[in-house]
Amino acid sequence: MPSGSATTIVERALSDMQVLAERTASCDAIVRSAYASDLEGKLPCAILAVGGFGRAELFPHSDVDIMLLVESADAAQAAKADLSTFLRNLWDSGIRLSHSVHTVEECCQIHDGNTELSISLLDQRLLSGVPGLYEKLEKKLPDFVRTKALVLTRRLAELARSRHSKYHATIYHLEPDIKETCGGMRDLHLVQWFGKIAGKSFPPELMSSRDFLFRLRFGLHQRAGRDKNVLDFESQDALSSQPEELMRDYYRHARAVHRCALWMIDAAETTKDKSLLEQFRSWRGRLSNSDFTVSRDQVLARSPQQLRHDLALVLRMFAFTSRHGLLLAADTEARLLEFHAQPEDFKWPAASSLMRMPRAAWALRQMNATGVLNKVLPEWKEIECLVVRDFYHRYTVDEHTIVALEAIEPPHDARLATLLEETGRVELLRLALVFHDIGKGDGDHVRESAEIVRKVMTRWDAPPEDIDTVEFLVLHHITLSGVMSKRDLADPSTARDLAGQVGTIEHLKLLTLLTYADISAVYPGAMTPWRLEQLWRVYLATHEELTRELETHRIPAAIEGVSSEEAALLAGLPARFLRTHSKTEIAKIVKLAREQQEEQTAVAIDRYQGAWRATILATDRPALFASLAGALAGFGFNILKAEAFANARGVVLDTFAFEDPHRNLEQNPEEVDRLQRVLVRTALGKHNVSQVLEGRKRAHKQKRTMQPKVGVSNLAVDNATLVEVLAEDRPGLLHDLASVISTAGYDIDVVLIDTEAHKALDVFYLKRPGGGQVPEEAHAALRQQLTEACRS
Amino acid sequence: MKKIEAVIQPHKLEEVKEALKGIGVDGMTITEVRGHGRQKGHKEVYRGMEYQVDLLPKIKLEAVVSNDRVDEVTSTIAKAARTGKIGDGKIFIYDVVDAIRIRNDDRGESAL
Repeated sequence: MPSGSATTIVERALSDMQVLAERTASCDAIVRSAYASDLEGKLPCAILAVGGFGRAELFPHSDVDIMLLVESADAAQAAKADLSTFLRNLWDSGIRLSHSVHTVEECCQIHDGNTELSISLLDQRLLSGVPGLYEKLEKKLPDFVRTKALVLTRRLAELARSRHSKYHATIYHLEPDIKETCGGMRDLHLVQWFGKIAGKSFPPELMSSRDFLFRLRFGLHQRAGRDKNVLDFESQDALSSQPEELMRDYYRHARAVHRCALWMIDAAETTKDKSLLEQFRSWRGRLSNSDFTVSRDQVLARSPQQLRHDLALVLRMFAFTSRHGLLLAADTEARLLEFHAQPEDFKWPAASSLMRMPRAAWALRQMNATGVLNKVLPEWKEIECLVVRDFYHRYTVDEHTIVALEAIEPPHDARLATLLEETGRVELLRLALVFHDIGKGDGDHVRESAEIVRKVMTRWDAPPEDIDTVEFLVLHHITLSGVMSKRDLADPSTARDLAGQVGTIEHLKLLTLLTYADISAVYPGAMTPWRLEQLWRVYLATHEELTRELETHRIPAAIEGVSSEEAALLAGLPARFLRTHSKTEIAKIVKLAREQQEEQTAVAIDRYQGAWRATILATDRPALFASLAGALAGFGFNILKAEAFANARGVVLDTFAFEDPHRNLEQNPEEVDRLQRVLVRTALGKHNVSQVLEGRKRAHKQKRTMQPKVGVSNLAVDNATLVEVLAEDRPGLLHDLASVISTAGYDIDVVLIDTEAHKALDVFYLKRPGGGQVPEEAHAALRQQLTEACRS
Repeated sequence: MKKIEAVIQPHKLEEVKEALKGIGVDGMTITEVRGHGRQKGHKEVYRGMEYQVDLLPKIKLEAVVSNDRVDEVTSTIAKAARTGKIGDGKIFIYDVVDAIRIRNDDRGESAL
């Protein structure tokens, strides 16, 4: 139960801050008195307070660190018994003591394994001792610090980096250790130490953060009655009646402290360094362009004042830093903190290009840290520094989201990394990750998040089909993890149900990657090999089912809400067709079908997602698909995606999405007509494509680096043979593969072709003329011929 | 006292936990494990290629109970974890010499 409001507890702690000084004073007195009774006149030494004791910041239960400065190690050895009495008496007086014994010479040397000694001396303060000894140290120490400043700052930076990495370099822990974690008290000390070495005072802008962290630690010690520094859920509740607000304040202060510490660490690592790293960094300075300059890996704007309002410039800056893995300079960050923009000015082209960048998470992290993300996407504010307590999550919701984005840059697992390469729409996957938990807080976060993403993407004027995809991913972002733990993966109904929900292999790949990223970002190590295996099994089972149902799930003769003309065209096509085509697209194809009935063949060519698309309706005949693929390759087009389905009436619907690398169609509109004529003639069997292709193939002859994989299986479905080909893409590949199949005397029943990252992923279902599977004994030869076709 | 160790299908965990809760067994340890018994994995097809899957994800559940409850607990686990198919798992029973509750040094069955 909360024992008071946020302010009262923290204010009370503030008034109690005098206790820090009082406790220090009382410990000073105890140590001095012990020295007088046990050591004075017996061991010539000086007693120094170091660490928090040296800084006069003794928290109620923190350790008391002292150093005994002696003339020589021998002298200390000779007075061993007196020293023991002194230390024992201090322990008995209730002080939790840590001590060390050193000579002046030792204090003024760099010790490889004990940098802490030099650092502790930065906070030293004389308590008692024989005259002369401390004066000697006082005389030598400033010189030592000055001459060894470079080494000391480097060591400090190394220690800080290793400490930060223990806390995964983030401040956003749900239950932070406010002493050691990034942005905690240690980082405050770090800033202080760097200042002392450089002869600078503590930055005034961090004073309020210092007070806040002090009060928190004081409160934690008071409550626990011991040296406790973890601000766990229980303590959050006890220290404030509004723990959520307390934590948001905490992250705000920790962010300021961490940022300042990082600037100093970075400066320490680069000061006057002639190392290889420095040479590399100055080389990186050449990345500077007309907008930005790069100095010591940090980016500065050439017109810094514009960073306050120029959205385009700000977005270019994040694109620049993420492309090259650069940091923002302190001045740049300060200006970005004051950035203002209207969310309405941030539209789909900007959002999608941000999400397509190779390291989008890098940019998102910087945008979040500088508050720019909030300005362009106000919905983000709801999850900024938001603590949602459960047994598993270790980060705030915003940090979880960014860690999830990092988890797919790229995935550690090779299988998942391949899936990522195969998804052509990485920007949709990333957007789904950005939004997947944005509705967290109250109620059903899945539904809330899906509503928010539709609203935001509509505001951006994103293409409706992309909004549908991202909304689908957000709505199903916990579906696969549910199946992983609650459903029997060996039961065929599990894969069937999931295939029904997911709809297409393209969605399945995106959802698998989304689930991988989401689980990986719960806490470090959450994606155990066990969970990964489960996720992969879910993917495999659903993939198999979706591939199988291409052949088995056909559209029935009568479906609701469809005209008889439409039904006649659709009946017998794979059920997938309805999931991948909108009503408008279906209407266009129905129109084409009318033409086909009159002319035997109908061809439509249009623009499709930045590429071109040819839709062909024709009466089936041998090698039809191979010839059409060949005709397109003959024009020099690269086929990106292809589908070939036959309906119940024996009409074949072939769709090819292709790229026109020489922009012939765009620049010569008459070429579109010529292409249409060629495709019609090809479909009618009046155009021979082989000759044209031979010439093209010779021109593109090159060494192939990827080993083709060809699978032929009769296990997938009962009445057809599944052939899957994974090969390096090249012009004319599809024509060659389809020709091998036609020459071998098999009919192609269903085709689904996808190409991503220079790879072709081809799925064919084959039947013998008149029906039936390819006999098992013919598989090896077919596999061999297809493999050779991939290699040629 | 006996330690009951059950290796079960992951999707059966919730059901088994609920069933054990129903007979008053709340304390248990759950581990995500991988392995195979006589089932020896199986073949999966991906992209037309066949893959041998040897080690399958399973859940190991451990609970220590008094001797007189062994039959009741094991039959509850078996009933809840059974699908009737290969790969449902196994239950092992071990003798436990003693148990100590760390908080207050309770020993034996009173520590359970």
